[in-house]
Amino acid sequence: MSDSTHRPAPVSPVEQRVAALEALLTERGLVPEGFIEQVTRRYESETGPMNGAKVVARAWLDPQYKQRLLADGTAAIAELGFGGPEGDHMVVVENTAATHNVIVCTLCSCYPWPVLGLPPAWYKDPPYRARMVREPRALLAEMGCPLPEEVEIRVWDSSAEVRYLVLPQRPPATEGKTEAELAALVTRDLMIGVARL
Amino acid sequence: MTTPLSLSGLDLPRRNGELAFDAPWQSTVFALAAAVIEHAFGGNREPFRQQLIKAIAAEPGRPYWESWTAALEALVPTLPERSTP
Repeated sequence: MSDSTHRPAPVSPVEQRVAALEALLTERGLVPEGFIEQVTRRYESETGPMNGAKVVARAWLDPQYKQRLLADGTAAIAELGFGGPEGDHMVVVENTAATHNVIVCTLCSCYPWPVLGLPPAWYKDPPYRARMVREPRALLAEMGCPLPEEVEIRVWDSSAEVRYLVLPQRPPATEGKTEAELAALVTRDLMIGVARL
Repeated sequence: MTTPLSLSGLDLPRRNGELAFDAPWQSTVFALAAAVIEHAFGGNREPFRQQLIKAIAAEPGRPYWESWTAALEALVPTLPERSTP
Protein backbone atom coordinates (compact mmCIF):
# COMPACT_ATOMS: atom_id res chain seq x y z
CA MET A 1 0.00 0.00 0.00
CA SER A 2 1.42 3.40 -0.82
CA ASP A 3 1.77 5.91 1.92
CA SER A 4 0.17 9.23 1.09
CA THR A 5 0.74 11.15 4.32
CA HIS A 6 2.95 14.20 4.60
CA ARG A 7 4.96 12.76 7.44
CA PRO A 8 8.52 11.47 7.19
CA ALA A 9 8.74 7.85 6.04
CA PRO A 10 7.73 5.64 8.96
CA VAL A 11 10.14 2.96 10.02
CA SER A 12 8.37 0.20 11.91
CA PRO A 13 5.42 -1.83 10.59
CA VAL A 14 3.10 -0.47 13.24
CA GLU A 15 4.09 3.09 12.38
CA GLN A 16 3.26 2.34 8.76
CA ARG A 17 -0.12 0.93 9.76
CA VAL A 18 -0.92 3.99 11.86
CA ALA A 19 0.19 6.29 9.04
CA ALA A 20 -2.08 4.37 6.65
CA LEU A 21 -4.99 4.73 9.08
CA GLU A 22 -4.30 8.44 9.42
CA ALA A 23 -4.25 8.89 5.63
CA LEU A 24 -7.45 6.91 5.18
CA LEU A 25 -9.38 8.62 7.96
CA THR A 26 -8.18 12.06 6.91
CA GLU A 27 -9.33 11.34 3.36
CA ARG A 28 -12.76 10.46 4.73
CA GLY A 29 -12.93 13.82 6.47
CA LEU A 30 -12.86 12.41 9.98
CA VAL A 31 -9.63 14.05 11.14
CA PRO A 32 -9.83 17.84 11.04
CA GLU A 33 -6.65 19.87 10.65
CA GLY A 34 -4.77 19.97 13.95
CA PHE A 35 -7.03 17.43 15.64
CA ILE A 36 -4.28 14.94 16.49
CA GLU A 37 -2.04 17.58 18.05
CA GLN A 38 -4.95 19.02 19.97
CA VAL A 39 -6.04 15.69 21.44
CA THR A 40 -2.49 14.72 22.32
CA ARG A 41 -1.82 18.01 24.03
CA ARG A 42 -5.06 17.78 25.96
CA TYR A 43 -4.29 14.36 27.36
CA GLU A 44 -0.60 14.89 27.91
CA SER A 45 -0.72 18.19 29.69
CA GLU A 46 -4.22 19.27 30.54
CA THR A 47 -5.65 16.19 32.16
CA GLY A 48 -3.92 14.09 34.71
CA PRO A 49 -3.93 13.01 38.32
CA MET A 50 -3.67 16.65 39.41
CA ASN A 51 -7.35 16.97 38.52
CA GLY A 52 -8.38 14.03 40.68
CA ALA A 53 -6.14 15.33 43.49
CA LYS A 54 -8.14 18.57 43.56
CA VAL A 55 -11.38 16.61 43.83
CA VAL A 56 -10.02 14.56 46.71
CA ALA A 57 -8.64 17.57 48.56
CA ARG A 58 -11.94 19.40 48.22
CA ALA A 59 -13.79 16.37 49.59
CA TRP A 60 -11.42 16.19 52.56
CA LEU A 61 -12.04 19.84 53.39
CA ASP A 62 -15.71 20.24 52.62
CA PRO A 63 -18.07 17.61 54.08
CA GLN A 64 -20.95 18.83 51.94
CA TYR A 65 -18.89 18.52 48.79
CA LYS A 66 -17.87 15.03 49.85
CA GLN A 67 -21.51 14.11 50.31
CA ARG A 68 -22.34 15.35 46.81
CA LEU A 69 -19.28 13.57 45.42
CA LEU A 70 -20.30 10.21 46.83
CA ALA A 71 -23.92 10.70 45.79
CA ASP A 72 -23.24 11.83 42.21
CA GLY A 73 -19.61 11.68 41.21
CA THR A 74 -20.06 13.04 37.71
CA ALA A 75 -21.89 16.16 38.85
CA ALA A 76 -19.58 16.91 41.78
CA ILE A 77 -16.48 16.46 39.63
CA ALA A 78 -18.00 18.72 36.99
CA GLU A 79 -18.34 21.41 39.67
CA LEU A 80 -14.55 21.65 39.59
CA GLY A 81 -14.56 21.85 35.81
CA PHE A 82 -13.56 18.28 34.98
CA GLY A 83 -15.63 16.14 32.69
CA GLY A 84 -16.21 15.26 29.11
CA PRO A 85 -15.72 12.05 27.21
CA GLU A 86 -14.65 9.05 29.31
CA GLY A 87 -15.89 10.65 32.48
CA ASP A 88 -19.62 10.86 32.03
CA HIS A 89 -20.58 8.28 34.65
CA MET A 90 -18.17 8.67 37.50
CA VAL A 91 -18.67 6.78 40.73
CA VAL A 92 -16.47 7.71 43.69
CA VAL A 93 -15.79 4.98 46.25
CA GLU A 94 -14.57 5.94 49.71
CA ASN A 95 -11.80 4.24 51.66
CA THR A 96 -12.35 3.89 55.40
CA ALA A 97 -10.38 2.31 58.21
CA ALA A 98 -12.23 -0.93 57.52
CA THR A 99 -12.51 -0.82 53.71
CA HIS A 100 -10.06 -0.43 50.86
CA ASN A 101 -11.21 0.17 47.29
CA VAL A 102 -9.26 -0.50 44.13
CA ILE A 103 -10.16 -0.02 40.45
CA VAL A 104 -9.43 -2.24 37.49
CA CYS A 105 -10.78 -2.83 33.99
CA THR A 106 -10.79 -6.55 33.32
CA LEU A 107 -11.83 -6.33 29.67
CA CYS A 108 -9.75 -3.50 28.30
CA SER A 109 -8.54 -0.32 29.92
CA CYS A 110 -11.49 1.82 30.96
CA TYR A 111 -10.20 4.51 33.26
CA PRO A 112 -11.48 7.83 34.66
CA TRP A 113 -9.50 9.95 32.19
CA PRO A 114 -10.78 13.42 33.09
CA VAL A 115 -9.57 13.05 36.66
CA LEU A 116 -6.57 10.75 36.25
CA GLY A 117 -5.32 11.33 32.70
CA LEU A 118 -4.14 8.31 30.76
CA PRO A 119 -3.71 5.00 32.52
CA PRO A 120 -0.23 3.86 33.54
CA ALA A 121 1.28 0.96 31.59
CA TRP A 122 0.74 -1.63 34.30
CA TYR A 123 -2.98 -0.80 34.54
CA LYS A 124 -3.37 -1.91 30.94
CA ASP A 125 -1.33 -5.10 31.27
CA PRO A 126 -2.92 -8.55 31.58
CA PRO A 127 -1.29 -9.45 34.95
CA TYR A 128 -2.88 -6.48 36.71
CA ARG A 129 -6.25 -6.92 35.00
CA ALA A 130 -6.46 -10.60 35.90
CA ARG A 131 -4.84 -10.71 39.30
CA MET A 132 -6.54 -7.69 40.84
CA VAL A 133 -9.79 -9.60 40.58
CA ARG A 134 -8.47 -13.02 41.54
CA GLU A 135 -6.04 -12.18 44.32
CA PRO A 136 -6.22 -8.48 45.14
CA ARG A 137 -4.62 -8.78 48.57
CA ALA A 138 -1.53 -10.56 47.25
CA LEU A 139 -1.18 -8.21 44.29
CA LEU A 140 -1.61 -5.09 46.41
CA ALA A 141 1.09 -6.35 48.76
CA GLU A 142 3.42 -6.91 45.81
CA MET A 143 2.70 -3.40 44.61
CA GLY A 144 3.78 -1.97 47.95
CA CYS A 145 0.35 -1.72 49.53
CA PRO A 146 0.05 -4.49 52.12
CA LEU A 147 -3.27 -4.45 53.95
CA PRO A 148 -4.13 -5.95 57.33
CA GLU A 149 -6.38 -9.02 57.10
CA GLU A 150 -9.24 -7.16 58.79
CA VAL A 151 -9.42 -4.53 56.04
CA GLU A 152 -12.00 -5.54 53.46
CA ILE A 153 -10.90 -5.07 49.84
CA ARG A 154 -13.47 -4.02 47.25
CA VAL A 155 -12.47 -4.36 43.62
CA TRP A 156 -14.39 -2.19 41.14
CA ASP A 157 -14.41 -3.34 37.53
CA SER A 158 -14.68 -0.31 35.26
CA SER A 159 -16.69 -0.37 32.06
CA ALA A 160 -17.76 1.96 29.29
CA GLU A 161 -20.77 2.84 31.43
CA VAL A 162 -19.15 3.46 34.80
CA ARG A 163 -15.72 4.77 35.76
CA TYR A 164 -14.57 4.61 39.35
CA LEU A 165 -12.34 6.86 41.40
CA VAL A 166 -11.08 6.00 44.86
CA LEU A 167 -11.43 8.62 47.58
CA PRO A 168 -8.48 7.91 49.88
CA GLN A 169 -8.64 8.53 53.62
CA ARG A 170 -7.38 11.88 54.75
CA PRO A 171 -4.02 11.37 56.45
CA PRO A 172 -3.77 12.19 60.15
CA ALA A 173 -2.18 15.44 61.31
CA THR A 174 -3.22 17.43 58.26
CA GLU A 175 -5.49 19.89 60.05
CA GLY A 176 -4.91 23.45 58.93
CA LYS A 177 -3.50 22.48 55.57
CA THR A 178 -4.84 24.32 52.54
CA GLU A 179 -6.62 22.64 49.66
CA ALA A 180 -3.52 22.96 47.50
CA GLU A 181 -1.32 21.46 50.21
CA LEU A 182 -3.70 18.57 50.63
CA ALA A 183 -3.92 18.02 46.86
CA ALA A 184 -0.15 17.68 46.75
CA LEU A 185 -0.44 14.61 48.99
CA VAL A 186 -2.79 12.81 46.62
CA THR A 187 -1.12 10.58 44.05
CA ARG A 188 -2.53 8.74 41.09
CA ASP A 189 -1.89 5.39 42.78
CA LEU A 190 -3.95 6.45 45.79
CA MET A 191 -6.89 7.24 43.52
CA ILE A 192 -6.57 3.90 41.67
CA GLY A 193 -6.34 2.20 45.03
CA VAL A 194 -2.93 0.57 44.71
CA ALA A 195 -1.57 2.74 47.50
CA ARG A 196 -2.96 3.81 50.86
CA LEU A 197 -2.09 6.74 53.08
CA MET B 1 -1.62 -19.19 26.25
CA THR B 2 -0.09 -19.70 29.68
CA THR B 3 1.89 -16.59 30.38
CA PRO B 4 2.82 -16.60 34.05
CA LEU B 5 0.87 -13.87 35.79
CA SER B 6 3.36 -11.75 37.56
CA LEU B 7 4.14 -8.10 37.79
CA SER B 8 7.86 -8.70 38.02
CA GLY B 9 9.68 -7.02 35.19
CA LEU B 10 7.02 -4.35 34.92
CA ASP B 11 8.12 -0.89 35.79
CA LEU B 12 5.53 0.38 38.22
CA PRO B 13 5.41 4.15 37.83
CA ARG B 14 5.14 6.06 41.05
CA ARG B 15 5.08 9.59 39.69
CA ASN B 16 2.13 11.85 39.15
CA GLY B 17 1.54 12.95 35.60
CA GLU B 18 3.95 10.54 33.93
CA LEU B 19 4.40 10.75 30.17
CA ALA B 20 1.62 8.75 28.61
CA PHE B 21 3.07 7.99 25.19
CA ASP B 22 6.42 6.48 24.34
CA ALA B 23 6.36 7.31 20.62
CA PRO B 24 4.49 9.71 18.33
CA TRP B 25 2.63 6.91 16.56
CA GLN B 26 1.06 5.97 19.88
CA SER B 27 -0.45 9.39 20.44
CA THR B 28 -1.48 9.42 16.77
CA VAL B 29 -3.42 6.17 16.99
CA PHE B 30 -4.97 7.38 20.23
CA ALA B 31 -6.10 10.61 18.59
CA LEU B 32 -7.33 8.77 15.48
CA ALA B 33 -9.55 6.60 17.67
CA ALA B 34 -10.84 9.77 19.33
CA ALA B 35 -11.51 11.27 15.89
CA VAL B 36 -13.49 8.21 14.79
CA ILE B 37 -15.48 8.12 18.03
CA GLU B 38 -16.25 11.81 17.81
CA HIS B 39 -16.79 12.29 14.09
CA ALA B 40 -18.02 8.90 12.84
CA PHE B 41 -20.01 7.67 15.82
CA GLY B 42 -21.22 10.94 17.33
CA GLY B 43 -19.32 10.40 20.58
CA ASN B 44 -20.36 6.76 21.05
CA ARG B 45 -17.31 4.90 22.29
CA GLU B 46 -18.90 1.46 22.31
CA PRO B 47 -18.04 0.35 18.74
CA PHE B 48 -14.38 1.11 19.31
CA ARG B 49 -14.38 -0.37 22.77
CA GLN B 50 -15.80 -3.64 21.48
CA GLN B 51 -13.05 -3.85 18.87
CA LEU B 52 -10.42 -3.07 21.50
CA ILE B 53 -11.72 -5.82 23.76
CA LYS B 54 -11.53 -8.26 20.82
CA ALA B 55 -8.06 -7.08 19.84
CA ILE B 56 -6.70 -7.48 23.37
CA ALA B 57 -8.38 -10.86 23.83
CA ALA B 58 -6.96 -12.07 20.51
CA GLU B 59 -3.39 -11.33 21.54
CA PRO B 60 -3.17 -10.56 25.24
CA GLY B 61 0.61 -10.17 25.15
CA ARG B 62 0.64 -7.65 22.32
CA PRO B 63 1.86 -4.15 23.20
CA TYR B 64 -1.07 -2.03 24.23
CA TRP B 65 -1.03 0.64 21.54
CA GLU B 66 -0.62 -2.04 18.87
CA SER B 67 -3.92 -3.46 20.06
CA TRP B 68 -5.41 0.00 19.57
CA THR B 69 -4.05 -0.03 16.04
CA ALA B 70 -5.57 -3.46 15.35
CA ALA B 71 -8.89 -2.36 16.86
CA LEU B 72 -9.00 0.74 14.70
CA GLU B 73 -8.11 -1.25 11.58
CA ALA B 74 -10.98 -3.62 12.35
CA LEU B 75 -13.36 -0.74 12.94
CA VAL B 76 -12.61 1.24 9.78
CA PRO B 77 -14.46 -1.06 7.33
CA THR B 78 -17.59 -0.75 9.48
CA LEU B 79 -17.62 3.05 9.57
CA PRO B 80 -20.93 4.62 8.67
CA GLU B 81 -20.85 6.65 5.48
CA ARG B 82 -20.55 10.32 6.26
CA SER B 83 -22.08 13.09 4.23
CA THR B 84 -19.70 15.94 3.58
CA PRO B 85 -20.72 19.08 5.41
